[in-house]
Amino acid sequence: MIAVLGLVVGVVVGLLVRPEIPAVVEPYLPIAVVAALDAVFGGLRAMLDGIFDDKVFVVSFLSNVVVAALIVFLGDKLGVGAQLSTGVVVVLGIRIFSNAAAIRRHVFRA
Amino acid sequence: MNNEEETPETPRGPEHRLRKELPQERPAAADAPGAVEEAAEPKEPEAGLTGRQRLAQGLWPPRVSRAQLIVALLLFGLGFGLAVQVASNSDSGSALRGARQEDLVRILDELDDRTQRLQDEKQGLEDQRSELENSSDRAEEARKQTAEKEKQLGILAGTVAAQGPGITMTIQDTKGTVQADMLLDAIQELRAAGAEAIQVNGVRVVASTYLSDSGKSVSVDGNKITQPYRFQVIGKPQDLEPALNIPGGVVQTLEKEQATVAVERSTKIVVDALRAAEQPDYARSSSQ
Repeated sequence: MIAVLGLVVGVVVGLLVRPEIPAVVEPYLPIAVVAALDAVFGGLRAMLDGIFDDKVFVVSFLSNVVVAALIVFLGDKLGVGAQLSTGVVVVLGIRIFSNAAAIRRHVFRA
Repeated sequence: MNNEEETPETPRGPEHRLRKELPQERPAAADAPGAVEEAAEPKEPEAGLTGRQRLAQGLWPPRVSRAQLIVALLLFGLGFGLAVQVASNSDSGSALRGARQEDLVRILDELDDRTQRLQDEKQGLEDQRSELENSSDRAEEARKQTAEKEKQLGILAGTVAAQGPGITMTIQDTKGTVQADMLLDAIQELRAAGAEAIQVNGVRVVASTYLSDSGKSVSVDGNKITQPYRFQVIGKPQDLEPALNIPGGVVQTLEKEQATVAVERSTKIVVDALRAAEQPDYARSSSQ
């Protein structure tokens, strides 16, 4: 419950404060958000599977974000930033979908 | 879904329910190999339920608040980032805001190119405009000059009427002794004295004019004219009159033939006999 509250509060604060994003972070934020979403869906699924571990969740969450940002950063440096971020988003999207499918089975039994 | 997320917090009941169903679920779950770390890990716990229970139990009582707080913190970060990104993305006006550096560079390049192209086009059009202005000025000037020249040439060619100072010479030839060559001499004399436009009895005298005898009278360009022969001449009267009157000149010669000649100056002579402009059949202009 607290976690859900944290998400809601984060959204509300983000919408209310509307901070100026630092230019350095700007290209990585969307990818990081998608990576974090993937981690959250993974965590949700793990919880439904009864194997949730907060340490694993924290590590996977942070590593997802960092790796995603790193890939984008590397892609920018290599000059294929756009393609790489597209690839990352596709991969994360596939994972999110498969996790969502697992969650759906738990929740709706279908 | 939120309810499901709370499961770890809630007493064992629901969790066990889920776990019992896991065996059936497993194959399907394995179908989704996108296994997250969290999902991949439990392979060993799957083998022994006790291990997993132990793990869950170890997790459960003391750290519940901390885990929840940490997760809440992370989710707060996620929500915050999500909201910020969405807000900045839907921020009006700045379509360039979320653009990547290389895209921005490309857009800038394109804009530069476009600016360059438009500048070139503008330059070309301006050149063209000034050229056209010049040429229309020149054409106007040329047209004026041409019109001017046409008038001058028209006077010479006899296609336009002319007026100006000059003289009128009237030759009374009651005896019919005046012949074409005498009139031709008179015309030559007048031309030599600077006559600019001449007409004889309503016939314009031009470069191609010829005179021929025709019985008792004279033909000018095939038009028969009868005496008195009346020359209307535009030119400087002070030059024309003496030229006719010089000793042994036109007047004396004619008078020798029993004709009477009257020369009279005038400040306004109108030469209004016209001649159609003829297109030459063979001669072509050799100038460009």
